[in-house]
Amino acid sequence: MQTVIKTEGLSKTYTNTAVPVHALRDVNLEFKQGEFTAIVGPSGSGKTTFLNVIGGLDKPTEGKVVIDDIDIATMKESKLFDFRMRHIGFVFQAYNLIPVLTAVENVSFIMLLQKRPKKEMEQRAKEMLEQVGLSDKLNTRPAQLSGGQQQRVAVARALASRPDFVLADEPTANLDTESAFNLLDIMARLNKEENITLIFSTHDQRVIDRAKRVITLVDGAVDKDEHFDRN
Amino acid sequence: MLITLAWRNLWRKKRRTMITVSSVMFAVILAIVMMSMVNGMKQQMVDSIISNTTGHVQIQDVLYHDEPTMDHAMEYSQEVKEAVEALGDAVKYTVPRIEGFCLASKEVSSRGVYLMGVIPEKENKMNDLSTRLVDGEMFAPDDHFAVIAQGVANQLDLALGDTIVLLGQGFQGMTAAGKYPVGGILEFPLPDMNNTLVYLPLKEAQMFFAAPERLNSLTLMLEDPQKADDIASRLKAELDDEWYTAKTWEELMPDKVAAFEARDAQVRVFAWVLYIVAGFGIFGTMITMMHERLRELGILLSIGLKRGKLAMVCMLETLFISLIGVLAGVAVGFPIVYHFFLNPIQLGADVGEVMIDYGMEPFMQFSIAPDIFIYQGINIFIIALIVGLYPVKKVFRLDMIHAARN
Ligand SMILES: Nc1ncnc2c1ncn2[C@@H]1O[C@H](COP(=O)(O)OP(=O)(O)OP(=O)(O)O)[C@@H](O)[C@H]1O
Ligand SMILES: [Mg+2]
Repeated sequence: MQTVIKTEGLSKTYTNTAVPVHALRDVNLEFKQGEFTAIVGPSGSGKTTFLNVIGGLDKPTEGKVVIDDIDIATMKESKLFDFRMRHIGFVFQAYNLIPVLTAVENVSFIMLLQKRPKKEMEQRAKEMLEQVGLSDKLNTRPAQLSGGQQQRVAVARALASRPDFVLADEPTANLDTESAFNLLDIMARLNKEENITLIFSTHDQRVIDRAKRVITLVDGAVDKDEHFDRN
Repeated sequence: MLITLAWRNLWRKKRRTMITVSSVMFAVILAIVMMSMVNGMKQQMVDSIISNTTGHVQIQDVLYHDEPTMDHAMEYSQEVKEAVEALGDAVKYTVPRIEGFCLASKEVSSRGVYLMGVIPEKENKMNDLSTRLVDGEMFAPDDHFAVIAQGVANQLDLALGDTIVLLGQGFQGMTAAGKYPVGGILEFPLPDMNNTLVYLPLKEAQMFFAAPERLNSLTLMLEDPQKADDIASRLKAELDDEWYTAKTWEELMPDKVAAFEARDAQVRVFAWVLYIVAGFGIFGTMITMMHERLRELGILLSIGLKRGKLAMVCMLETLFISLIGVLAGVAVGFPIVYHFFLNPIQLGADVGEVMIDYGMEPFMQFSIAPDIFIYQGINIFIIALIVGLYPVKKVFRLDMIHAARN
């Protein structure tokens, strides 16, 4: 299967602290098309840093992040904006959505930045909201949605533009157990149906069990990289 | 889409936006009322200067303005008449005058007076001279009697039917002397005028000054006062510049124009103080608006909205607040000044009298000139652009990882 992301000798050291912090140490990983991966590890192990670096939000101190044969670690900031918008979907821990836009507008937002045809865009946004079980909330603003519903809209937005892969940093952290499972189920289903590569980080042992691949970070280094056969 | 985003962002905290908009609105209302008042007053004064003294444009001998003596009286030649005629309907009417200082006496008492040779019908059109008549009658062009101001009459103890003797310097050093019966008495509110003016029919005065067919000035009253500059330069081009020149009222009264300009500058400074206060209101609001959504801004940047576009959204928010403020200010300010434009404020006794003294109506006149309103729009727009630099700078400096995380 096709490789979507490849990291080579990825290291990140924060030097703005009293003692330099090695948030990532020589991480060499490959993510293939359609994988559904959980990044786990104790707090401070480097999960967020890893996702930021492969998402082009942060620069590694050393190493490469190769996406589409391009090393984005050396890409200029202005180019990265476009790159992220075209190739990467993001789901953050909370407050993902633009409060003044309705659910369907939020989902269309990235496609709008990509200047997709209006009709295609609307149709896709509705379809995605249906996929995450919110077809009755199309015109609702985020403030009127529950935390779980908001995260589902965020997932719909991240996938709507059909990015190469979606990064989700602790997408379930603010959710109760039921909503967390629900969100993970939706992500797992979309991963399969849309064949989109999904990488998410989590603390939560319960949701880890949904992933087909689990990478454990300890002190910024890859401790374990396990594959499971789940359906 | 960016516009929609900016617009909706404004109304996230309705109350705060309304308060900010109100601060702009009140600044604009105040500035409009103030400018309308000052402009109105200025217009009133300009009208008064034009109708009582200079007219819109004057044709004179080239040297007369710098050295106003009888020797620099111009010939009221065919050339001048043709040049004026060539202007057609642009000129409403002309007012020919010959004028100069001379000595007036009755028996042993004498005093200096200012003699004006005029055509009464023309003066009436320009400044309603005949309405100042308190005794006797106004002369007709071919009469041979004088009409004098009340102050002159009192000082020389002249009554209707008495004879006034005038002595002065005529054209090219000729002695000017004459005696005229007093046929009418005029009262002027301004003491300067009331104590010095003596009127003769134009022809009689030309005879007196030994300057037949000569004038000190030919005043032009125009259909459109705005065209004074244009008309003056057309006349200058037309007339022989060895002898003639044409001057606008602004050129004839440079110190008055300077005074108006100083006043305008004062008003503009005051208006800018208002704008800047309102600007700080907008600034404060933008600071809070930016700070309470740093995370949201960080997320927008993370998912790929370019900094330039995000900055545009924030700039638009600033512009919208200002724009709504200006529109609301004009919407409220216009009816106010329009009301006072239709119903000028009658001034109290003391202030009113001063104005009457200066030959003006005792009313506070308001102006509704469009530039008053345009001025608000342009300046608030400038203020908004400056204030808008803050969110723009903030967006360009925003550390998106940090912002999105906190
Ligand atoms: N901007 C920063 N400046 C300095 N140190 C940082 C910065 N961001 C992260 N770190 C440090 O880098 C290490 C890795 O942090 P990171 O946020 O990636 O961990 P994490 O696994 O996501 O933790 P958590 O599970 O708590 O979210 C930590 O020691 C953290 O303190
Ligand atoms: Mg983290």
